[in-house]
Amino acid sequence: MSELPSEQTLKIVDAFDLPETIRFLLRPGEMVKDAAGRRHRLPRYFYEIPSYEDAMAIRLTGNFRLNEFIRVDLREAEPLREYPRYVPCAVRITAFYLQRIRDEIGSTLHISVNGGYRSPAHERNHPASPHMWGTAVDIYRVGTSLLQTEEQINRYGMIAERVADEMTAFPFGQEPGSTDDHLHLDLGYLFLVPREVSEDRMEMPQETPRFAWEERRGKDRRTS
Amino acid sequence: MTDQPTRETIAAGEASLFARIIRRKHEHKLEEMAVGFYDYESTIHWSFNADQWFHAASTMKLAVLLGVFRQIERGELTLDSDIHVRNRFTSIVDGQHFKLEVSRDGDGNVYKQLGRTMPVRELAYWMITTSSNLATNLLFEIVGVEAIQYALAELEIPGIKVLRGVEDQAAYDAGLNNEVTAAGLLRLLRVISEKRAFSREASDQMLEIMLDQRYKSGIPAGVPDEARVAHKTGNISTVHHDAGIVFLDGRKPYAIVVLTRFDAQTGRGNAVADISADVHSTLADLSHV
Repeated sequence: MSELPSEQTLKIVDAFDLPETIRFLLRPGEMVKDAAGRRHRLPRYFYEIPSYEDAMAIRLTGNFRLNEFIRVDLREAEPLREYPRYVPCAVRITAFYLQRIRDEIGSTLHISVNGGYRSPAHERNHPASPHMWGTAVDIYRVGTSLLQTEEQINRYGMIAERVADEMTAFPFGQEPGSTDDHLHLDLGYLFLVPREVSEDRMEMPQETPRFAWEERRGKDRRTS
Repeated sequence: MTDQPTRETIAAGEASLFARIIRRKHEHKLEEMAVGFYDYESTIHWSFNADQWFHAASTMKLAVLLGVFRQIERGELTLDSDIHVRNRFTSIVDGQHFKLEVSRDGDGNVYKQLGRTMPVRELAYWMITTSSNLATNLLFEIVGVEAIQYALAELEIPGIKVLRGVEDQAAYDAGLNNEVTAAGLLRLLRVISEKRAFSREASDQMLEIMLDQRYKSGIPAGVPDEARVAHKTGNISTVHHDAGIVFLDGRKPYAIVVLTRFDAQTGRGNAVADISADVHSTLADLSHV
């Protein structure tokens, strides 16, 4: 799994503990319907990103900075465009798989604006999509090539699915579930419950803040 | 300031202008032509065929600009708001997606930002100054057609119909087009010129953008080089329009609209520039500029 520099710690928050304005927009634990009418529960645990500088500085993997997964335009709800920003903890898993695909392709993958995490309040999240879980990315450019042809989109999609079995790539097309100006990759409706938090709402709020680095202490101990 | 022309001088000038403009129509083999101007110096308001509807071509971008500044004034948008640059739009007719052809766009600057963001300020600038279709459709999508229509209604500008963005072929095939009249565009120009477009600041910002227009073969080609023209052109295979405000030293500005339609085989020629020159010389004669 990816490593965060120790000096760049991210606070883990239970969205139920966030201010009402933010909680209302993130809708933790709520059920939403996808395009096929299937219901999915929205994520509850988020990284809190204090500032733009932090987002730019923090590398989720060797080639992917946190900032790349949270770039949005004004289609995102205004309170969620201001720092501190929030992104589901599963974004780390997405970055991990994306790095594997990037290594296979051997070229830079560019995630488009609105192509990483999008909150349930984002205008482009109707119906629900894995972007609301932080587990989907829209790649609009590979290296210097804009992805605009069937050949490009299907070729890179096949590579992604070959490298990462859990990854779904949308084929080229104009119908729902296909794309014609980017490569959509997602891991489905996956969410991550950090080891240190309690899911019992009777304990709310969390007694002490939790941080991403705590998650890896155990791993660090095992590997040391 | 100059002496006000007499009623007789104005009447003679108008008659002469009418004759010259009719001559231009034949000379350039125009199928339709409309002209309107308002001179702040002499307060002459003159028009020919000003209520005739024309395909708006890119002059509709002035209405989009109004819509953008309406939303800014209402606090729903800022000039610094970032917008995702994406070449994928939805037809108003059948909901199908369509892309703009880079080769048919007057501007390549916005395409270089595909996948990234551009602030509203820059998109508005390229939409007007280089007539970027991509910038137009992005702004159109963000503010929505209703906001544009509300802007026109709130500012009491009839004579401009905006229904869709650029290159929505399905809408075109269904006969849904943006249309303008010379009277409508002239009113729009006057609202901006008179600082009544939502606020003095908003009007100034729009004017500043329009002054940077890169395409100068229309109205600017008919006025002295030292004139500054805040304007917006509109061209497709069968129409050539220009709508602008002409600033000349030593006198108040005048707003002018020239709309022309011609057979595609004939081509656009320089009718707009010639008519612009006719209007300028008429006003110059009247005010001795």
